[in-house]
Amino acid sequence: MSKIWSFHGGIHPPENKQQSLQRPLEALPLPSRLVLPLQQHIGAPASPLVKVGDRVLKGQPIAEPTGFVSAYLHAPTSGTVVDLVDHSVPHPSGMTAPCVVIEPDGEERWIELQGVDDYRSLEKHELAERIRHAGIAGMGGAGFPTEIKLHLSDDHIINTLIINGVECEPYITADDMLMRERADEIIGGIEIAAHLLTPTHVLMGIEDNKPEAARAMTEAARRSRIDIEVVVVPTKYPSGGERQLVKLLTGVEVPSGKIPADIGIVVQNVGTLAAVYNAVHFGKPLISRITTITGEAASRPGNREVLIGTPISDLLAHAGVDPNRLTRLVMGGPMMGYALGNANVPLIKTSNCIIAGAADEFPPAPPAQNCIRCGACEQVCPAELLPQQLHWFAKGREYDKALNFNLLDCIECGACSYVCPSNIPLVQYYRHAKGEIRREQAEQRKAEQARIRFEARNERLEREKTEKEARRKARAEAAAKAQAAKKDDAVTSAPKADPEAALKAAKTAAAVARTKLKKAEKALQIARDSGESDLAALEAEVSAQQQKVAASEAALKAAESTAPAKTPDIKELKLAAATARTKVTKTEKALADAEAKALPSAEKLRSSLATLRSKADAAQHALAAAEQSARPAAPAEATAAATADLKQLKSNAAILRTKLKKARKAIEAGDSSAELAQQVTELEPQLASAEQALAAAQAQQPPHTGPDLKALKSAVAIARTKVKKAQKALDEAGDNDDLRAELAQLQQQAAAADAALEAAQQATESP
Amino acid sequence: MALMRLSSPHVHRPGKTGDVMKQVIAAALPGLATLVWYFGWGPLINAVFAVTLALLFEAVILKLRRRPLGFYLGDFSAALTGLLLALALPPYLPWWTTTVGVFVAIVIAKQLYGGLGQNPFNPAMIGYALLLISFPVEMTRWAGPQEVTGAQLSFVDALAVIFAGQGLPDAVTMATPLETFKHKGALTADELWAQSAQLLAGLHAWQAVNLAFLLGGIYLLLRRIITWHIPGALLFTLFMVSGFFYGADPSNHGSPLFHLSTGAIMLGAFFIATDPVTAATSNKGKLVFGASIGLLIYIIRTWGNYPDAVAFSVLLMNLAAPFLDYYTRPRTYGHKQPQKGIKR
Amino acid sequence: MADYRKITLDGLWHNNPALVQLLGLCPLLAVTGSVVNAIGLGLATTLVLVGSNLAVSLIRNLVPDAVRLPAFVMIIASYVTCVELLMQSLTYDLYQILGIFIPLIVTNCAILGRADAFARKNPVMPAVLDGLMMGVGFSVVLVLLGGLRELLGQGTLFSDMQLLFGPEAAGWKLTLFSDYPGFLFAVLPPGAFVGMGLIIAVKNIIDARRKARTERQPQPVEDGGSKRVRVTG
Ligand code: SF4
Ligand code: SF4
Repeated sequence: MSKIWSFHGGIHPPENKQQSLQRPLEALPLPSRLVLPLQQHIGAPASPLVKVGDRVLKGQPIAEPTGFVSAYLHAPTSGTVVDLVDHSVPHPSGMTAPCVVIEPDGEERWIELQGVDDYRSLEKHELAERIRHAGIAGMGGAGFPTEIKLHLSDDHIINTLIINGVECEPYITADDMLMRERADEIIGGIEIAAHLLTPTHVLMGIEDNKPEAARAMTEAARRSRIDIEVVVVPTKYPSGGERQLVKLLTGVEVPSGKIPADIGIVVQNVGTLAAVYNAVHFGKPLISRITTITGEAASRPGNREVLIGTPISDLLAHAGVDPNRLTRLVMGGPMMGYALGNANVPLIKTSNCIIAGAADEFPPAPPAQNCIRCGACEQVCPAELLPQQLHWFAKGREYDKALNFNLLDCIECGACSYVCPSNIPLVQYYRHAKGEIRREQAEQRKAEQARIRFEARNERLEREKTEKEARRKARAEAAAKAQAAKKDDAVTSAPKADPEAALKAAKTAAAVARTKLKKAEKALQIARDSGESDLAALEAEVSAQQQKVAASEAALKAAESTAPAKTPDIKELKLAAATARTKVTKTEKALADAEAKALPSAEKLRSSLATLRSKADAAQHALAAAEQSARPAAPAEATAAATADLKQLKSNAAILRTKLKKARKAIEAGDSSAELAQQVTELEPQLASAEQALAAAQAQQPPHTGPDLKALKSAVAIARTKVKKAQKALDEAGDNDDLRAELAQLQQQAAAADAALEAAQQATESP
Repeated sequence: MALMRLSSPHVHRPGKTGDVMKQVIAAALPGLATLVWYFGWGPLINAVFAVTLALLFEAVILKLRRRPLGFYLGDFSAALTGLLLALALPPYLPWWTTTVGVFVAIVIAKQLYGGLGQNPFNPAMIGYALLLISFPVEMTRWAGPQEVTGAQLSFVDALAVIFAGQGLPDAVTMATPLETFKHKGALTADELWAQSAQLLAGLHAWQAVNLAFLLGGIYLLLRRIITWHIPGALLFTLFMVSGFFYGADPSNHGSPLFHLSTGAIMLGAFFIATDPVTAATSNKGKLVFGASIGLLIYIIRTWGNYPDAVAFSVLLMNLAAPFLDYYTRPRTYGHKQPQKGIKR
Repeated sequence: MADYRKITLDGLWHNNPALVQLLGLCPLLAVTGSVVNAIGLGLATTLVLVGSNLAVSLIRNLVPDAVRLPAFVMIIASYVTCVELLMQSLTYDLYQILGIFIPLIVTNCAILGRADAFARKNPVMPAVLDGLMMGVGFSVVLVLLGGLRELLGQGTLFSDMQLLFGPEAAGWKLTLFSDYPGFLFAVLPPGAFVGMGLIIAVKNIIDARRKARTERQPQPVEDGGSKRVRVTG
């Protein structure tokens, strides 16, 4: 038996657990309608998959998660979806929320279930996905989607898995009953959780007021393949609080503002694990749970297996609740549960107990007296706060002081209110104060974001202005240049694909980075809202993403500044080459930085550095080529190797050739006029120069012409096909000289195309 | 069915502030009985009178403040204040003096600050200190134990002394041990005791009274109405300091036992310094609070102007209680360090 | 154009130096053990206030701002010296009782405050009136507190008036309780604080009531110093 630590404070309220343990577990008859709130968990509400009038089968998903922290919802029985409405849901405020209403058909037809026999053969994420698809959310009360806690990212190395079977709240016996009746399911669930988390210790805490459950669990644990230690802890409220249980069983404290997973601990409720077991082994989604119905107004208190969505009124009727005696209807335990305004709300995944309280059992709270600073609250506070001080700050709206006194570490256990001799509703004060603080902080955040956005906008406008200016200048220069170029008839076209491509790449990179940032921010927001999860890590991630966005935006900016060079001349090419080089050095620096900090972005930076380098090289090359082609004075030769120009050159040469041929023919034909002779003599050098230019252009062509490469490729392909076809025809036709000649020619052509392609490829690859 | 929508928790430990006060009152009764046993009817008459007055003043002020009378009187805090003040006063104090004391305690020291829980100073001690400053003659006229003075005042006589302004007959009065010791002049302790045989004979009366209050205090400890920190630290400090000086110079200083068993020490340690409203709240704070009171008591008794010093010491430390609380905050779960002081 | 009515009301009630501005508390609390002390100090303070306001107002356009405070202090000190000499010659016994608090009038911030806040910016007539009314307002509080403390502390009123008003005033003394045991607390400084607090509280009650009344009926009630009489209650 391992050591038990203890935590400060705690109380021993009357347990009142016997009442609901007198009868065995019963199943509630099928209710006439089921109301399923879309949000029964912490996080984003699920979005419905069904519409009114749909027939659903038992276990069929009817709503799917809408975010990372969200959960599936399933039809608890077969029937018809009769409504999708706002219905009052169990919530302290008595609010309404969107619900799916199902009218059972009584047939209980299951959807086809798919369990796995050997979950070990599954990939872990697959296993987690199965749990996710079963819609399991923490059944101890918080309702945090379970698979998130079971399938943590690699930053969390779990050394201890704690199973919470403490059930410290008075009245509730649902977990007690579950442990007695279904110990093996729980153990099965623990095994799955242990498989997913690979902890070194598995501890299970049970209060010593549940000897039977402890015995059942110890028995079952002995049969398990893994080493599960059942630890009996002294009865004290709130031992079942996650943080308190961690302290109790391991002696370490979960740091303020962190989650247990941050210190390598995961806490799971027994009910949740039983649900995990059923989900994995039988494929059963979470559609029912054990709920305690007790309280003095109930004549048949006990534990019931209820379908999620069952109206509480059904449960009350089944437990024989006398409506005349019922004065307070509590969902959850008497310490932390909330009073319901009516019995028309459904039971949800987290409803572990319904207390139908009578007037003498729960008398109205006497009016609060003044705090006499007796310190009783301080003695019992499990979070070691100063409740009386917090109460004064909350009352006086001195929220900053309350924060300084760690108000946010209050777990709202109610121990302080329980003992306060002056009957001060302390917890109520704290809830209100926390709400106010959260509101204030949200406003501050909003203001801060607005400020950042505003500044960013100003910066952007400023940047755009300067860029526009630069572009305008560049354009003017280019125009002047073009004018000059036109004059001496030099067609100075240069490769233009590169800066554009870079711009595009940078844009996509920036967009990707931004999306990632948004995602991270959203995750952070969700985590903040749900008050769980590892905020610090998320925040770090957000800031990393922000950095990335900044970097990629800088890159984009740089690319944009090179992009204007759409009609590049040598100067612009030079500029482009220079920018490319700077980019490379910048990226190199960023990479070094990232590597030093071991940021995950290093990998990306490395690859982008490679592309940038090649681009810089290309730019350099283009510059060199342009310079080279600019140097020879002869206007006709001076044409650089752009596709269009090449074509032009080609057709020029062809025309000249034809003309020359025509002229020669004419001369041959005897029309030896002086005119023709002169034409020929004129044409000959022209053709020669054109052909020369074409050759020059072709020599320079391959490195810069993606499209041409393509064209070449397709030409090769076409040639090959032609060859094949011809060969086929030849085979079919037997010996046919014509065909053979054609084939030979085609083969030659194909070879030529191949060679051209190869040359072009070589040229592109090694510029 | 009318369902109540109340916030959690839905259960509450039985017991109200009034119960706490009642227990404290009950715990003080043995002390009162012992006083009556040794000093006659005076303390009882004083106590009943002071409690009645306290309730009356409280009621008047509550009326003026338009607060529900029954609810606030039912917390018994006013009654307790009246009782504690009466227990601290000389047994046959004239009625008007008591009245002034109770008035100041309830009206000025408590209600003017906002009532129970809002007063920075212990109301009973404010009343006591004010009387001591204002009416030194009346406040230093103590009756001796009846068995020593040999004069027994009947109940009617006692009433007359207190209410009819007859004044306490000289035969009944006697200096308290602390006063005697204070004014011993150049005598050594032994010479002093040799001279005051009467006092020596009556010393056990004062000791018995302190013992009775000690028992009451232990009862409070057992009922967990107070914690041991304040009285423990107070008594321990007083014991150590007086022990130190007694050890160094026994002829000029009282023994630790003398210091612990005379004056209002036990009343102060268990009933007055532990008043939660005006004491430090954290356990560490309580230790410092109690220890400082013990030290101050010794300092004022030995080198100050007044023979006893419980009231002044308690009031001085009342002043420091918020400060102590700010600097002795517990370490909250999940925090490495306790926060200190108050940041804005 | 100065509003003399407003100046008067301000000095006596709305902006009373002792009750509202809480200025000059040191002598106020120290010497108000009896009515005669209060009257003595009140008269002296009023004289100095009137004189200094007059002088400051006269030179207000001659003294540059940078050195105005030393100048004011010089003026006040001169008046205080005059008053001190006068008291020495006329009421030597009282002078002996009030002791250091007469010279200390120089440092009474009520006086410097009025000089700097009012006389410096106003012509002579309003300045003098302001000095007078502030002085009277201050004196009234002094006398009230003195009366209260004398009554509580010694059970008498107007004792030792001969110190100020000559031998025939010796009979003015009212003894309310013949064998009053004396209430030392009231005579000691803490008593002054408590008494002062009570007077301020009463003033606040009256103000609150009046405010409530004027709010109920829009017609402002015609009243001035008459309400002040209630303060004695
Ligand atoms: S328990 Fe109640 S009365 Fe006592 S200190 Fe806490 S809040 Fe004040
Ligand atoms: S509700 Fe908060 S302050 Fe009160 S005992 Fe629980 S944790 Fe402490």
